[in-house]
Amino acid sequence: MKWSCLVRAELRKLTSTRMPWAFVIVLVIISALTATAVIAGTDMDGSKGFIATAADQQSLMAFAWNAMMGAVIFGAIAVAREYGHGTVVPTFLSAPRRYRAVLAQQTAVSVVGSLLGGLGAALTVAAVAVALPMTDYSFMLSIETTAQLIAASAFTGAVGAIMGAGIGAVVRNTGGAVTGAFLILIVGPPLVVQMANGAASWVPGTLAGVLSGIGSEVGSLAAIAALAIWAAFPAAIGLISTMRRDVA
Amino acid sequence: MATTSSSRTAHFNRPEILREGRNTVTAIDSPPLPMRDPSDPRPDLAPAIKVEHVTKRYGHATVVDDLSFTVQPGRVTGFLGPNGAGKSTTMKILLGLASADQGRALIGTHLYRDLPDPARTVGVVIEADAFHPGRSGRNHLRIVADAGGFPAERVDEMLEMVGIADAADRRVGAYSLGMRQRLGLAAALLGDPPMLVLDEPGNGLDPQGIRTLRDLLRARAADGNTVFVSSHLLGEVQHLADDVVVIDKGRLVASGSIRDLEQTATLVRTASPEILRAVLESAGGIAQPQDQDALIVRGLPIEEIGERAFAAGLVVRELSQHGGSLEELFLDWTSATPSHAGTIEEEIETR
Repeated sequence: MKWSCLVRAELRKLTSTRMPWAFVIVLVIISALTATAVIAGTDMDGSKGFIATAADQQSLMAFAWNAMMGAVIFGAIAVAREYGHGTVVPTFLSAPRRYRAVLAQQTAVSVVGSLLGGLGAALTVAAVAVALPMTDYSFMLSIETTAQLIAASAFTGAVGAIMGAGIGAVVRNTGGAVTGAFLILIVGPPLVVQMANGAASWVPGTLAGVLSGIGSEVGSLAAIAALAIWAAFPAAIGLISTMRRDVA
Repeated sequence: MATTSSSRTAHFNRPEILREGRNTVTAIDSPPLPMRDPSDPRPDLAPAIKVEHVTKRYGHATVVDDLSFTVQPGRVTGFLGPNGAGKSTTMKILLGLASADQGRALIGTHLYRDLPDPARTVGVVIEADAFHPGRSGRNHLRIVADAGGFPAERVDEMLEMVGIADAADRRVGAYSLGMRQRLGLAAALLGDPPMLVLDEPGNGLDPQGIRTLRDLLRARAADGNTVFVSSHLLGEVQHLADDVVVIDKGRLVASGSIRDLEQTATLVRTASPEILRAVLESAGGIAQPQDQDALIVRGLPIEEIGERAFAAGLVVRELSQHGGSLEELFLDWTSATPSHAGTIEEEIETR
């Protein structure tokens, strides 16, 4: 069986339920909240310093870390419920050497995770652009910077979705997979930083900031490589466990 | 599933496009699955399925225990056993969904995972509820068709064939169990495979649906295809199957054609049935009391039963071959599993 057929099947799985739309609705709500914050929010001193400069606006609109967290949850749910509903069975029957099915699944969730990440960033930028004229400040980001924000979110969305897919394949239970995703992204990085001096530059949140142009702890290529490694680890564990375990 | 005989007939005419496709695949890619010669009702062909000494343990529990049997092409083979006997686990091992601790299960001459194009070789219904409840039936089939590389037109054809075309765009969560069974069967038939492996496909079907399922499976077997179907509906299996494989507690208790199996018991009348029962069971037979003075004996040839009764000094008033329904046989087999289970062929050979 052609691998492209498996990817197409996995994409159809993801797009033939309401789950992606639920995530889109969440993105719309987040962008609306961001716009509201731009219009009505202030800093502690009552000023609007958080949108006063181009760098401030870039920091406000940097969506890459949010995209990654959301995409991890998306990937975890997408894969875990495959096991919960048993819909992984026909896939494994078509691709009994399961690595092809797992790679197709990870490819599909990374595509949708990337789209959701990019959409989230685009909606945030659009919301801020619409809201700023209602303040004393104008939209200050260049097209290049705006594109960088969207591209960074698209990339971290893909990375997060692959991480989530790996977690979902290991845990195989939707609630457990979401919990595992939070543990790895929220609890894991601080622990890593505590155990290893200098690791703070390499945790996902920092790396997402680098890609969004609001951090410079490491170079962009190094950030991309490091995020890929963060994704590869749970993805590899998910692949191995899927290959070894019986399908219940 | 179709509700009229005319539509059923039409449904059995499989599309040429996939017949050609399957033949191409079989000829070039797939392992050779033997096809039945229509002129020979029971040709001597290589088994389409071969289970060899398969053992599967979950923790300390042995779910399948040194199980061996074969399934012939061109036949409908029923796979019987009480709940928890190991039927589904055996099917999952056959389909590569579970691994065997010992032994192997082959499709033709290959492990399932080694089949070049498994989706076109074996159609499977293994879990009655393996659907996303929020996905439409049509989209479920489209996904299976995408993964298997089947033409999109087959989706509509199969929806029509199993009789759920009108509900195709409804969410599967709103389907009845019978409709989900039909959807599963449609997915199994998408690739027009030469082999069907079906786990309890009749569950939840109404009588019309069961009748149509039976006709469909019989027609496929008549075309030389292999049909291996587990069921706990013994009456249905009796109507549907040519052969049966019966397991209990993960072990084989009987296998062979239903016709032969139904003729393999012996009726013995004696004034001392309890003594004779003990004698025969000590020799490895299964003896079930029939009336006050009669036993139904399986697992021993009729001559040996007479000789052992004579040696024990028991008067035998009747000694004759005894037929029984599949249900009677099943209850006998599964309520008193012999210590040395064997195939019906072995049993017949001893007669």
